[in-house]
Amino acid sequence: MKEIEKKQIWPIVNRNTLIAYGLILPSLLVFSVFMFYPLLYTIYLSLFDWNMIKPVKTFVGLQNYFVLLQDPLTYTVLKNTLAYIAILLLFNLAAPYVLVFVLSFVIKRGQGFYKSAFFLPSVISLVVGSILYLWILNPVSGPVAIIAKFFGITLPIWSKTQGLVIAVLSLITTWKVFGYNFIVLLGGVGGVPQEVIEAARLDNVPLHRIFFDIVVPMSSATGIYVFIMTIVQGLQYVFTPIKVITQGGPDNASSNAIYNVYQEAFTLYHTGYASAFAIVTMALFVLLLVLEFKYVEKGIHYEN
Amino acid sequence: MRIDKETKWHILLGCALILSLSPIVFALSSSFKELSEAYSNVFGLPQHPTIGNYIQVFSRLPLLQITTNTLLIAAAVTVFKTVTSTLAAYAFVYFNFKGKNVLYFILISTIFIPFTVTMIPNYLTISQLGFRNNILGVILPQLSDATGIFLIRQAMRTVPRSLIEAARLDKIGHMRILGDIVFPLVKPAVVSSGIMFFINSWNEYVWPVLILKDKANFTLPLALQLFISSEGGTDFTIAMAVSVITMIIPLLLYIIFQRYIISTFTSSGIKG
Repeated sequence: MKEIEKKQIWPIVNRNTLIAYGLILPSLLVFSVFMFYPLLYTIYLSLFDWNMIKPVKTFVGLQNYFVLLQDPLTYTVLKNTLAYIAILLLFNLAAPYVLVFVLSFVIKRGQGFYKSAFFLPSVISLVVGSILYLWILNPVSGPVAIIAKFFGITLPIWSKTQGLVIAVLSLITTWKVFGYNFIVLLGGVGGVPQEVIEAARLDNVPLHRIFFDIVVPMSSATGIYVFIMTIVQGLQYVFTPIKVITQGGPDNASSNAIYNVYQEAFTLYHTGYASAFAIVTMALFVLLLVLEFKYVEKGIHYEN
Repeated sequence: MRIDKETKWHILLGCALILSLSPIVFALSSSFKELSEAYSNVFGLPQHPTIGNYIQVFSRLPLLQITTNTLLIAAAVTVFKTVTSTLAAYAFVYFNFKGKNVLYFILISTIFIPFTVTMIPNYLTISQLGFRNNILGVILPQLSDATGIFLIRQAMRTVPRSLIEAARLDKIGHMRILGDIVFPLVKPAVVSSGIMFFINSWNEYVWPVLILKDKANFTLPLALQLFISSEGGTDFTIAMAVSVITMIIPLLLYIIFQRYIISTFTSSGIKG
């Protein structure tokens, strides 16, 4: 009874709204200052010619965007970005997906052990990863070079080789990302009922068919989540090995959309141009975001 | 036949595992070798173990100061993000208010915003606040991260609503509901979010490299970067020692809390 009375005196919706916003307020404050305001300010800066030091910013309209579209470097960087995405997806989506399938339905034993062990490198700094692989893959005296020499193979100087440099930097990033994706995928694939797989195996359906026709479609929400996170996070993670090992070289062959903005902003001080480039990168990510909310957020809910 | 097939798969998984774990063993083992041995005995364990590299690190860098900086930054970021994410998640799960879905959508969307988009204005803000070359300047921009809200909300959604409604009818306040009823049930998610906040902040490189200039203010990943040279170089074994120092805390934390962490992230991709 009292509840009802209270409802009439205190419009309960408003009071709750107040408490709710109070609870979110601390988050909202830091997001406003360090996320939403910077986002808007970067859009603003992209319309100016500025070098971060000059007291006056010169308004240039969309010129930075036009310059960006005409600069051949933009296309080199975009091509590299696509190469990074392709390699990261191969190593961090396709490879763990197959291993997770095998672990869940083919061998079934040792899941807990593999999960814990594969995740281990995910907690280590990518600067550590970069410096470790710099030595492990050292073309002259590193362990891989020594093994290769045994088979009569000489390692190329990968950090100075177009194309190969992207593959190696992606590999270093994979070292960190693989384990995380592995356990997330294991969660998704674990939701596929065992009976369905058992039935298919009794019917002698080949493993690759079970994988592509049953497991992938039935765990697609997780698959898409990992797909998007691999691209969005992976491209940002790969920044560290680029910065530490190649600084985008040789001749911009290892620069990607993220590193290029950093370079333009803090090495060349093309503040307006860097802002425009950042906005274009984000626009590409927003496309992925639309995918995410279309498929994953409306995905399967096991509880509630 | 079947066992044969399984063994083959275990060999494949084992190879992948060796590839991913051997660098850690390699760093540990090399950090206890003298430089000459690191070149002559690449694969083996140290024949003449030495802690010379570690002593070198301490004499060449204010390592205690650097470790303290890293720890302070990671601790501040962890405490702030864990508390604010828990409060926000609680509001998003147990309250109905105007603009809830839009606000949640906007907050979660920020996970997809690349750091390059906020980097320049944040650099200007930190400069204006006078926090450049100061650990506060490293801490502040790291606080706007929605992953905690996402993960903790996932866990809170599994707490039966009836439990909360019953408590509300008994006139129990929100802070006590959160502390005494909800928190114990979502503790694994809160703890593992906190641990991951700490580890990520400990490893953070992009932002500190922009903000911190003096060695005395450096964090461990920045200090490590000082020892990088593309040829391996004369500092190689010392770099391995710094690597070990940099990764030891995250590894220990992971080993202690791995059950929480694994279960939280295993379910993070399943439920929207």
